[in-house]
Amino acid sequence: MGIISIKNLSVSYGNIKILKNINMEINERKITAIIGPSGCGKSTLLKTINCMVEEETLSRVEGEILFKDNNIKEMTKEDIRKEIGLVFQNPTCFPFSIYKNMVYAQKYYGNTDKKKLKHMVEEKLKIAGLYDEVSNDLNKSALKLSGGQQQRLCIARALTVDPQVILLDEPCSALDVKNTKNIEEMLSKLSQDYTIIIVTHNLSQAKRIADYTAFILNGELVEYSDTETLFSNPKDKRTREYIEGIYG
Amino acid sequence: MNRYVKDLLLKLWCGISGIMVLSTLSFIIIYIFMKGFSSINLDFIIGAPKGVPIGSEGGIYPAIIGSVYLMIIACVFATVLAISTAVYLELYCKNEKLLKIMHLVIHCTAGIPSIILGMFGYTFLVLRLGLGRSLMAGGITLGIMIFPFIEIRVEKILNEMDKNIVYASYALGLPKSYTFLKLLLPIYKRDIISTVLLAGGFAIGAAAPIILTAAVMYAPVPRTVLAPVMALPYHLYILIGEGISVENAYGTAFVLIVLLLTMNILPILNSLSRGGE
Ligand SMILES: Nc1ncnc2c1ncn2[C@@H]1O[C@H](COP(=O)(O)OP(=O)(O)OP(=O)(O)O)[C@@H](O)[C@H]1O
Ligand SMILES: [Mg+2]
Repeated sequence: MGIISIKNLSVSYGNIKILKNINMEINERKITAIIGPSGCGKSTLLKTINCMVEEETLSRVEGEILFKDNNIKEMTKEDIRKEIGLVFQNPTCFPFSIYKNMVYAQKYYGNTDKKKLKHMVEEKLKIAGLYDEVSNDLNKSALKLSGGQQQRLCIARALTVDPQVILLDEPCSALDVKNTKNIEEMLSKLSQDYTIIIVTHNLSQAKRIADYTAFILNGELVEYSDTETLFSNPKDKRTREYIEGIYG
Repeated sequence: MNRYVKDLLLKLWCGISGIMVLSTLSFIIIYIFMKGFSSINLDFIIGAPKGVPIGSEGGIYPAIIGSVYLMIIACVFATVLAISTAVYLELYCKNEKLLKIMHLVIHCTAGIPSIILGMFGYTFLVLRLGLGRSLMAGGITLGIMIFPFIEIRVEKILNEMDKNIVYASYALGLPKSYTFLKLLLPIYKRDIISTVLLAGGFAIGAAAPIILTAAVMYAPVPRTVLAPVMALPYHLYILIGEGISVENAYGTAFVLIVLLLTMNILPILNSLSRGGE
């Protein structure tokens, strides 16, 4: 049993079925990569896992998702999202200072002890590998950071609520090689304590960091196995074709 | 026709229209300033109206204060309602039909002639609820008038915001209420304040909604919200309409215009000072 089990999951927007009967077990404290051509439903899958699809008008979810054996429909949206964090494809820093971005969620939980907050901010920024770059000016506006720094700030911010699972939607799509490498190293380290699901277009990235890889095509889960097998010995013809670059 | 000539004609037309609008506007303002300035003195500003008929001598102090009070009540009433409506429609409402109906209702409210709002205020607030001709009844009636003005603008502000930031806040497990109070409100505070100030300017100049609901020919500065008040637009209307004193009417108009200009300039200062941040 994994930390998250997805059972017969289908998601539609209006009359269009985006995800079709997905079954998947996500393993705890591992990195799971989701690959597939653009528009196949990868982001939708992530958004379904932490209930963000419910914010879209006309979305409908069938089937069930279990988080630690609890059906997520029986938990409140807020609780699920606290346990299962989501980092979006583009950085979504709030137009406040770095420090305010980091304490924003903690303030909701009534945590106002300045010392503790400061310590927490420092710790999470260090995990995200951003601390050294911003430590001398935490009051700087988050929007003045570079794209890669903003993305790492968003990851650090997601960590501030102590989630167990982190979902990342193409976190490196707008970053250069060096920033990508930083984030990959950080994710590998994070996977000792957190379960990570990452959507990526970059097959070599999946190969480098993921323990397991899932291939989705047109809303169907075509193949899901450990990364090694999926890339070296795919069972499905469509997976092989995708890896060889046929669907682009 | 040659397209350069077309272009030139269009430019000419735009230029002339602009000049006409500007000159009419400045003519009105300058005219009122010139005519009104002679009757302005300290007694006029801080004195109560005197003489027979009342208003032919003395000042307009109770009317200035009455108008300001009316505006404050209207703004508070309308702002609370407008912000909660806008937040409901933008963040909570998922029902497309309900959204359409609400928008229709709000736009229709914006189109109701203000004298009809005044009539509603008179029958419902003044008589039915027994508020009497009072600051409260007039303030609420004015509030109903500026409610759509504020609601439409606040909803537009929320509609044009970056949805991803809102989703990022939800994704941290935070409820919508917290997201609105701690994320959206701080970000859009200035825009909302500017909108409310403009709406206040709109309310302070309106005569029709208060004729039946609040304003009287003479009253001291009100001590309770249930007391009737004097108000600048109504005082102006009485001074001219009853032929009491044209000079004092221009003086009143002068004060009203100064108040209005202030209300319109404040939002500009408000947005200018943002640049310094
Ligand atoms: N809010 C929505 N309403 C209707 N259809 C949507 C909505 N969001 C996404 N879709 C559709 O769902 C399909 C899957 O979208 P999704 O964002 O999950 O794709 P993706 O695999 O993440 O693609 P990409 O790699 O380009 O990000 C697309 O065809 C898209 O048009
Ligand atoms: Mg996507």
